[in-house]
Amino acid sequence: MRLQSIVIGLLLVSTFVYGADKPTATIAPIKYPSLRLMGFGDVNFYSTEDGDGNKESGFRNGQFVLHLVSQLSSRFSMFAELSFTATSSEYRTEVERLIIKYDHNDYFKLGLGRFHTAISWWNTAYHHGAWLQTTIDRPLAVRFGSQLVPIHFVGVVAEGAIPSGSLGMGYIAGVGNGRGENIARGGDAGDINDSRALNVRVFAKPDVFYGLEVGLSYYSDTITPETESQEVDEWIGSAYIVYDRENPQVIAEYFHIEHQGVASGETAKSDAYYVQVAYRIPQWKARLMPYTRYESTDIAEDDPVYTREFDLERYLLGVRIDVASFVAVKAEYRHESIDSGPFLDGFFAQISFTF
Amino acid sequence: MAAIVCVAVLFSASVAQAASIAVVVHPSVEVDDLTFAEFRKIVLGDRQFWPGGKRITLIVRAPVADERTILLERVYKMSEAQYRQHWVAKVFRAEIASGPRVVLSNEEAVDLVGVIDGAIAIVGSEDVPEGLKVLKIDGLLPGEENYPLDR
Repeated sequence: MRLQSIVIGLLLVSTFVYGADKPTATIAPIKYPSLRLMGFGDVNFYSTEDGDGNKESGFRNGQFVLHLVSQLSSRFSMFAELSFTATSSEYRTEVERLIIKYDHNDYFKLGLGRFHTAISWWNTAYHHGAWLQTTIDRPLAVRFGSQLVPIHFVGVVAEGAIPSGSLGMGYIAGVGNGRGENIARGGDAGDINDSRALNVRVFAKPDVFYGLEVGLSYYSDTITPETESQEVDEWIGSAYIVYDRENPQVIAEYFHIEHQGVASGETAKSDAYYVQVAYRIPQWKARLMPYTRYESTDIAEDDPVYTREFDLERYLLGVRIDVASFVAVKAEYRHESIDSGPFLDGFFAQISFTF
Repeated sequence: MAAIVCVAVLFSASVAQAASIAVVVHPSVEVDDLTFAEFRKIVLGDRQFWPGGKRITLIVRAPVADERTILLERVYKMSEAQYRQHWVAKVFRAEIASGPRVVLSNEEAVDLVGVIDGAIAIVGSEDVPEGLKVLKIDGLLPGEENYPLDR
């Protein structure tokens, strides 16, 4: 009897210790607007030599990027991405993205403003954040200033999930101004012709393969390039497969571009693709991630739109070292050749960070 | 002998109460059961609304907490570094305006879940007060056999 009392007493004590109400916390209310500022930056070193023995080397500031995001209400939010890019004579300022977005539900979200075109997975995954991407530089097909595919898009974009069960499908669909007279830029100040650009992406993230995403994209527009006397119809189709679990990381994209003169009816076809593989080594606190990438662009000789795109082939081999939570050091070797002729070998290093 | 029994009783009580992680939601959430895949989409930020249209507010424990460790290992399958990069990328891609709300204790988590419409949190099952809804995951409650979030 005495033993039972002791046990019961101890049980009651333990219940009191483990199950008693604890003082409640003070709960902060949700405030609108709620502005947050993030940023990205990188500093680079390069050393290159071409086939004629010409050498170049030096340090270079990468883009300094500010990202502003603010929840304006339970449904509306705003995103802005500002970049500051070093040139030989100045720092060029750019509004890379400016989006006002309404979230109705998981199946329908609507944004208006300036976007990164959803014709490429890389373009919408990494934007201008060097720290986010594994490698130092973007693939040639989607490099900043590229004419190959439209990098920016000004207009309205709807996105959301597609009811598809375990397939995990989704869509991005946009209508906008298309390319400007300078075809490397979007139509920021308005559409230069009466033809709107259309961009649609459909993708799937199947539950059974966690980390896998596959997608198809389509883009169409009528271009009025400053170097051409006729308008040109443009169609771009692309496909991608991404496995981003870092054990390994596999990113592959393929682009097919067709340009048809509206007056001449002549069609030029170009292609580009890249395949990138990386693997985060689990030892040494999982800081090291070696990577490699091969990429190729095959430009139609008589393309009426491209003025500075060439057949390019490049491969690179490098390593990313996450030296701190928000700082990464990257080093890579690159070999690239133009039109199967002149080539460039180079060593590149970068420290990239986010804040 | 009495001391041994007391120690055994206390030990078994503590083990039983710390055995499971519960997924709790605000009582107004019109969902009782999630598949593991659906739960993963919510904690990844891929799914941001409940079926009735309420926005999901995700509440997670700060680093080192058992509940966060289980979430990272079993659901995210990410390290802390990958988890941080995931949310930085999510905000940068304009998919969400902010990452999960981080709390320092289960008590803070259940307090927030109790007052924020649409909130969801992962807490020790012993810290779930009356009035909060505990979701089934794959049809199972904390403590049931094969529950995917057992410690």
